[in-house]
Amino acid sequence: MNRLLRAFFRPTQKITATGVYTILVIAAAAMVLLGWFLPWFVGPFSEGVGFSPQDAISTAPTGIGTILLYVTGVCMLIVLLSPFVEFTLRARHRALDVRWDMVRAAASVVGLVLTVVVWILVRWINEEPLFGALPNGITTDSAVWLEMYGFGLAAITYGLKRLVLERPNVMFVVGVLPFGVLLPLMFHQAPAFVLWATQSLAIYMLLGLGLNVVVGFAGLLDLGYAAFFAIGGYACASLASPIHGVHISLWMLIFIGAAIAATFGAILGAPTLRLRGDYLAIVTLGFGEIIPDLATNNVFGLTGGPNGISGIDKPVVGSVNFGFNPQWFYWSLLFFSVVVVIMLLNMQRARIGRAWVALREDEVAAAATGINTTTTKLLAFAIGASVSGLAGAFYGAIVSIVSPDDFQFAVSIAVLSIIVLGGIGNISGVILGAFVLTFVIFWALPNLQEWSATLGHTFNVPAISGIDFTRYTFILYGAALIIMMLFRPAGLLPSRARKVELESGIESESLAAVQGRA
Amino acid sequence: MTQESVGVGPTQPLGEAPAPSPRRERKAALLVAPEGLIARHRGSGVMARTAVPAFRTTYGFISHNFPAIIMIGILASVLGVLAQGGPTLMGNQMRNALVLGAIYALIAIGYTMVYGIIELINFAHGDVFTLSGFYAFLIADHFGINKLAASSGFGLLVALVVIFAVSMLLAGITGVLIERVAYRRLRDAPRLAPLITAIGVSFLIEGFMLAFFGPDNVTTHQASWINGNAFTLGAVAVRWTDLFVLGMALVLMFALGAFVTRTRLGKAMRSTAQDRQAALICGININRTIATTFFIGSALAAAGAIIYSINYGSLKWNLGFHVGIIAFTAAVLGGIGNIVGAGIGGFLIGMIYVFGGSLAGGAWSESLIFAILVLILTFRPVGLFGVDVASRS
Repeated sequence: MNRLLRAFFRPTQKITATGVYTILVIAAAAMVLLGWFLPWFVGPFSEGVGFSPQDAISTAPTGIGTILLYVTGVCMLIVLLSPFVEFTLRARHRALDVRWDMVRAAASVVGLVLTVVVWILVRWINEEPLFGALPNGITTDSAVWLEMYGFGLAAITYGLKRLVLERPNVMFVVGVLPFGVLLPLMFHQAPAFVLWATQSLAIYMLLGLGLNVVVGFAGLLDLGYAAFFAIGGYACASLASPIHGVHISLWMLIFIGAAIAATFGAILGAPTLRLRGDYLAIVTLGFGEIIPDLATNNVFGLTGGPNGISGIDKPVVGSVNFGFNPQWFYWSLLFFSVVVVIMLLNMQRARIGRAWVALREDEVAAAATGINTTTTKLLAFAIGASVSGLAGAFYGAIVSIVSPDDFQFAVSIAVLSIIVLGGIGNISGVILGAFVLTFVIFWALPNLQEWSATLGHTFNVPAISGIDFTRYTFILYGAALIIMMLFRPAGLLPSRARKVELESGIESESLAAVQGRA
Repeated sequence: MTQESVGVGPTQPLGEAPAPSPRRERKAALLVAPEGLIARHRGSGVMARTAVPAFRTTYGFISHNFPAIIMIGILASVLGVLAQGGPTLMGNQMRNALVLGAIYALIAIGYTMVYGIIELINFAHGDVFTLSGFYAFLIADHFGINKLAASSGFGLLVALVVIFAVSMLLAGITGVLIERVAYRRLRDAPRLAPLITAIGVSFLIEGFMLAFFGPDNVTTHQASWINGNAFTLGAVAVRWTDLFVLGMALVLMFALGAFVTRTRLGKAMRSTAQDRQAALICGININRTIATTFFIGSALAAAGAIIYSINYGSLKWNLGFHVGIIAFTAAVLGGIGNIVGAGIGGFLIGMIYVFGGSLAGGAWSESLIFAILVLILTFRPVGLFGVDVASRS
């Protein structure tokens, strides 16, 4: 265990240090901003975000309340604006004075304390004269939670900047993992958000991690990844629902689903072993189309046809029925994600991981150095597919109905976009990409539509209210893929080896010219 | 036998008792020879010795006779349809297959040309097809072409010339634009990068079509342009539309063939496809040649799209995805990079799609095509008449 932890936290395995620092800075600023204005962002269309400092200000507070709030506001502005100052300076090759880090850290701590104070005053003491006339019956505090987390993250990032730069992985885990764990608690009054976090974020993060093995580590472009997701989902659905009368526990099923998906991964991999990258892409694409087709056509009467399989069992652990408490799904998914991440990090460093890299860089050379390309490729497919099978089994249990429409080509492309956006081959990048993309696609866009509808009605502009933002999903996928590939091919958080490979087009071209095979 | 299979036979002194278990044998072998020198066999040696060569032979047989097998399969399905529904059904399906095949052939040529010249699977090609169908739809609806076509025979001719010329031009420009914006920068990047970009372009185009034309089928009015039956063979009615579609496709394909083989630019294209560096040294403008390739490919896709909407009368935003994969299968079947192969492959795929679908049920026809694609790439990646591209690079 000790060795495992040490391997995980080893500083030599860091993604670029400034990358993690940037992420944490931006995340802290975003959380502070979101916490402050959360009711404005989500108010019109989402229940249960409740009180935020901005509410307190807008009710015209007096005396000490004013001072508290405005000092908090100044702290917020410092946290909010300092990334801009810092990145502008860095763009001119100048660094911020160390003293300023301390100022920023202090501001974050003050902001954190004051937010807590204001929150206690409003929420528990309900000090009327201090904060004007706040509406009665405020029961929720997601905004304040977010605000506090943001200030706390800023305090850690600025106060322990050296540590962040030296041990980025540890600090990434310290900074981000609590947010992941606390998320259902912070938004416990906004079930839609928890559901989003479970059904979109966690699932797609797992899918991204799995596809990253195939595409990122081994360099095999898989465009039919949704097929394995479907296999996992259908395995869960058919073994834990009334359709065949079999009811197996989900905790067994995730392994069964993973095993079946891995088998299919190897089966698919076998005929493609001799193929080059782009042919492989097409074959996997074809496979990804065949699987939903088989499900639609109700092959062997297993899959329930176009309507899919419904009524999938919800797991019950002790007195907790996951069906009524979706946050437990979220936590189990998070647990398995962490397990998968640790597994993949170790695998990446192990013999097999290095074999994948060698295969990706040059197959002939890899074979010449004694790597068994067949098993290496098949293992990449199988391991990638098994993660997806696990995600699929969870997905079936979460939404309790699987149908062929859930596993269309767009799913494969969404997962591909996640890893391209985050950084091909980099696990932290995949997590970041999953967060950004699922937030935009599955939370912001559908809500934006509702929001603009409200806006359109309020200001009587029918043109705004009629926009169907979910229609732009495809444009977003496409734009993300093109822009990333053209301007930042290594992704938001590049893995170093991959960056060198993807940005060295000129050298490899001249090399190719020398070898006469361009 | 067992001894030999774990590679200890020659190294063990004669007369010594054979080791009881394979594990101990390997240990013994380690004592006498470095590990790397021992031929390692995993699993049962007997199984491997009989199964692997049998597998190889079977694979080799199928791979070698793949064209024959495909032809026999198509013929069998044609005969199956004949047995199932008599000559009328077979005739009708043959007509459908030829029309569909003509469309696939026109699209497949675009795939194969682009692949031949820059070795990129242009995923966006299928969507360029749909987009140019929508170009034609918009032109026909907004500039009174529909009325012109309905007015008289001469009007119809003018309408057809206008719609084909303008749409093909627009589609060509779209193709050139895509190449300029998305692919040119990545021409020398690692293979994964342009491929992902191509998928991005495909989704971008689909997204725009979804945003502008909505998620449902859009009825184009070109289906009513050409009316009536040309002649009937038995109970099989051949419409003027069918003849027009086939004729148009063949004319375009032969024109393309003449262009590629007879003109200077076609020669430049062929040489660029053969060796880009050498072509550059010979003074060929690579960028212009590649742009031309994209222009022609997209223009042919536009012709295919107009033919499609004349024949079927409706378009949908994501039509290009499925049609694109099927056409790509046609290109692979004919040997990717081979223009004549793509034309023939298109017609063959049309027949597989129609007859196979007729036998297995319409819901299976697309799965059938994907299965064929996987089979081709497994057994004969070079296609029916292709050069050996699988081993290239």
